[in-house]
Amino acid sequence: MLGSAYYRWQHKYAPYLFTAPFLLTFAVFALYPMAKSLVLAFYITSGPKSQVFVGLGNFAFMLRDPNFYVAVKNTAVFALFSVFLQLPLSLGLAVLLNAKFLKLRNAFRFGFFSPYLLGQVFVAVLFSVIFAPRLGLLNRALAAVALMPSNTDWLGDPDRVMPALVLTALWMYVGFNMIYFLAALQAVDKDLYDAAAVDGAGPFQRFVHVTLPSIKPVAVFVVVLSTIGSFQLFELPYLMLRNGPGPEQAGLTIVMYLYQKGFEAGDLGYASVVGWSLALGVLGISLLQMRLAGTWKRET
Amino acid sequence: MQTQGATRWEAAMDRLGDWFPFGKAPLIILLLVLVSGGWLLLHPVKRTQATLRFWTFADTHYYAYLNAKPSFEAAHPGQTVDFQFVHGQAVTTRLRAAFWANLDVPDMVEVEISAAGSFFRGPSDDIGFEDLTPRLKAEGLFDRMVKARFAPYTHRGRIYGLPHDVHPVMLAYRRDIFEAEGIDVSKLQTWDDLIAIGRRVTIPDKRYLLDFPDASPSGLEMCLFQRDGGYFDSGGRCIMDSPVAVETLKWYIPLVAGPNMIADDPGWGQPWVKAVEDGYLLTFTCPDWRSKFTEQQIARMAGKLALMPLPAVKPGGRRTSSWGGTMLGLTKACPNKDLAWQLAKHLYLNPEELAKRFRDTNILPALKEAWTHEAINEPRPYWSNQPIGKLYAELAGDVPPQYASPYIEFAKGKLSEVVSSCANYYKKNGEAGFAAFAEARLKGAADEVREMMKRNPF
Repeated sequence: MLGSAYYRWQHKYAPYLFTAPFLLTFAVFALYPMAKSLVLAFYITSGPKSQVFVGLGNFAFMLRDPNFYVAVKNTAVFALFSVFLQLPLSLGLAVLLNAKFLKLRNAFRFGFFSPYLLGQVFVAVLFSVIFAPRLGLLNRALAAVALMPSNTDWLGDPDRVMPALVLTALWMYVGFNMIYFLAALQAVDKDLYDAAAVDGAGPFQRFVHVTLPSIKPVAVFVVVLSTIGSFQLFELPYLMLRNGPGPEQAGLTIVMYLYQKGFEAGDLGYASVVGWSLALGVLGISLLQMRLAGTWKRET
Repeated sequence: MQTQGATRWEAAMDRLGDWFPFGKAPLIILLLVLVSGGWLLLHPVKRTQATLRFWTFADTHYYAYLNAKPSFEAAHPGQTVDFQFVHGQAVTTRLRAAFWANLDVPDMVEVEISAAGSFFRGPSDDIGFEDLTPRLKAEGLFDRMVKARFAPYTHRGRIYGLPHDVHPVMLAYRRDIFEAEGIDVSKLQTWDDLIAIGRRVTIPDKRYLLDFPDASPSGLEMCLFQRDGGYFDSGGRCIMDSPVAVETLKWYIPLVAGPNMIADDPGWGQPWVKAVEDGYLLTFTCPDWRSKFTEQQIARMAGKLALMPLPAVKPGGRRTSSWGGTMLGLTKACPNKDLAWQLAKHLYLNPEELAKRFRDTNILPALKEAWTHEAINEPRPYWSNQPIGKLYAELAGDVPPQYASPYIEFAKGKLSEVVSSCANYYKKNGEAGFAAFAEARLKGAADEVREMMKRNPF
């Protein structure tokens, strides 16, 4: 009797018990901070101890804050490079490493994926040395083929900071995104290729009419994920540019600006406004991407 | 026997399945959570039991303080000090978080000069450091220490930090190359004299006279301080676009950019070491702390380097500037403030300790009476047998003040942008329109700082 009551109790409450740790953690570390930051957005603060209500003052200040627009522009440029340069390269690599004629495919797959395992801090330190003027590996290589003088200051020249960041991110993430595409490619129904071949489709036509439509859901997922990741860019430029935004703020990103305002200047209110703008912006862009790709449909 | 055992095992598993019907994997996870959580509860991290906890960001300070610790603890029986070496960036962020949360606040902490102002934001009650003004007055320390060094740690008339150092700037030069080139440093009295030499010895992409950067503000700000300019005045007003600042910027940029540049910034660490060793850089600005750094990093240059005062702006003018600095603050959270003050005096005001430390760090203390100690006046073989402590001490009284502001980091960022954009403009356009561009850029940056300051309601 007791056993059956206990069994019923378990079945009734077990789901709540198992989800409770997540829900509790989510409430404490996500929901509460979000709600608190929404309230803070209406205050000017000096750390969490002192705050003065300013209504929409922070929002008005953001709209005329040139630094915020610099951060948005830099982040958007980086995101565009991520989507239009990094992802096609990832897809190309995936197609190449999915080809049956290639030997040592697994070794290549691991080789391209491995930079991701290093982590952003290590990669930032590594590339700071590679981009060093005069003695950096990149300058040495470029000088060797006589393309540029050897003292190009990649991280000290505002025109070169973004290319340096894009190159670094490319090295780190191209293999990571390749894995998604590779998994999608391996799931494409082989019969579709056979049927297309019987209909006379060449390799390019098979890629356009069979491969791309088949991997579209994964591709959209990777695009959205990559866009969100790009808009969260912080560690790479912060460390590569010596804890700052670099020359003429060429490496200032939205999250770096948020960090500067909130945790260096102590203006948590303004940082909250920047944070909410980022969240809403990323949400809008992601929805737009899904809408354009036709993968966002109302459930019926 | 084996079959019987297996049957018993299966029966036990069945009973377990009845009691915990969610599978073996969740059960193992649950057990791991319980065991590891229990172990952590039973083995908490031991709290430091020391009477005073002291953070420093410089390894040279840290090791020197460890040497000074036994004598302090012997003089104060029953009291212990825990010196902790915390990375410079971490000191700032951890201390800020500690002040905000009133949690894990150290009793005493050394803060770098450029970060000090950021701790003076908000109402005075919110500042985490103890106001040291009454103690400084009672001890008569204003006269015993270099007065200008209190300025960076003073806010709204209250002094929150005891200055660790003076950091006068000299110019380190490759004595061997200067002698080979027939350059007599005693005749280099002004910047004009030095620049003329620079034009003669600089070979583009192969050899430069100075190490001034074109993408960060450190070189310009040092020149600004020498000319009594800076970011803020003693009243906390932004003076980044003062006439002195405009003139200094217009003078500085052609040194670091354009066809007649005589300065290049090789960066830090190994690239800088190699640049000095290769003779790519003939001189570099050298505050006292950098002289020790140089000895450690470029050991192969022993006997080939020497120091000279900075050239003056005008004949007879100031021959130094200032770069870097450290304050020691007592936190409001410290329960033993009198004992902490005793330790501060032991570390910062004991001439014998300071002299010993000078041999380890080359850092000239802010306490003037320590400058006569023999350790500070002895010749150094590395620096071509110059008595470098004496040389720095001779300039120390003339070190310009730097004034504190909670907006100092923001202002530095803006000046960095100005230097970079002006250097780029000059590279592309030369003198055409440069003066107006530089002035407008500086004013724009200063206006941004003022706009930010206007938002402060505290």
